[in-house]
Amino acid sequence: MKKIFIWSILGISCWILLNGCAAQKQLYYFGDYSNTLYMNEKFHDEESLLEHKQELEQIISESENRKMSVPPGIYAELGFLNLKSNNTKEAIMLFQTEAKIYPESKFLMDRLIQMANKKDSRSSEVSSSTE
Amino acid sequence: MLIVLLLPIMFSCAPKMNTKFSEFPLMYEEHPRSIIILPPMNESTAADAKQYYSTTIQEPLAYMGYYTFPYPITEEILKMEGIYDTELLVNLPLTKFKEYFGADAVLFTTIKKWDLSYMVLASNLSVSIDCVLKSTSTDQVLWTYTGTVIVDLSGGNTGGGLVGLIAKVVVTAINSAAADYVTYARQANYRALYSMPYGRYHPQYNKDKNVEFVDQTPEGKTAN
Repeated sequence: MKKIFIWSILGISCWILLNGCAAQKQLYYFGDYSNTLYMNEKFHDEESLLEHKQELEQIISESENRKMSVPPGIYAELGFLNLKSNNTKEAIMLFQTEAKIYPESKFLMDRLIQMANKKDSRSSEVSSSTE
Repeated sequence: MLIVLLLPIMFSCAPKMNTKFSEFPLMYEEHPRSIIILPPMNESTAADAKQYYSTTIQEPLAYMGYYTFPYPITEEILKMEGIYDTELLVNLPLTKFKEYFGADAVLFTTIKKWDLSYMVLASNLSVSIDCVLKSTSTDQVLWTYTGTVIVDLSGGNTGGGLVGLIAKVVVTAINSAAADYVTYARQANYRALYSMPYGRYHPQYNKDKNVEFVDQTPEGKTAN
């Protein structure tokens, strides 16, 4: 009798514990973000940069798969990498997406979009002058 | 019966506890939504600590429910503006960060410890990070905490049992690769952020006023 009592208490507490854990759903999917960022900071080379960029893309697609919001800053960071490699159109689109999901970022994103537009017009001037 | 006997012991041993609301009321008053992370200040002896630590803080802060400005972007913009060292900004008005980035709050971090210490019988790896969150509209301290992780690397005299096993695992990890502080910096971050009130994107937002935590606030910081 005593044994049954102990087991039932154990069972109930396990059930409570499990439910508690299930309710604590993660807010975002960050993948390997911190790690690839760290590696990029450590080595500062093409390879680690590419890996970090791929990780950003992977976080976006995996978040969509899991029907979660993409974490703050991910679209913006991918946009910034695109801006640096002169894919200004792609960059602007990504900055706009960040601002749409996170209105807190709108101010900075508008600034970055301005930067991208300036860069775009400057590079087209250069290309037209060389033509 | 047992519980009655244990009660006084539990109370006498309990460290000082505070609720999030009693300790950081301004967080619930201002409700900052967005946080900009400044380059860490480094008071440790390790020159590379600043660069490495900076990669660890954004992710856990986002998990707390805040909009975190992407550090790689803000760091670069600050550099374009000629700001390499956060030390220069500590006593300046923070409204600039509202004007330039649209940030509600600024996170200052100081690396207090990032080292190995060798003693006769033991060696320790310590990582200690001091965090201060300040408002960009009032310059007031909204939240402050210190996260510390000390790992015992001696392993030799810890004896058997689970504790001995863990210590040995750590020792092998340390020996196989150069001491990777970043792993412990991440732990230190989680320890510090444990006391921070949740932000708007977290389901517990504004519901955590009575959550208790161990008081580790650095002395003299609360009065600001």
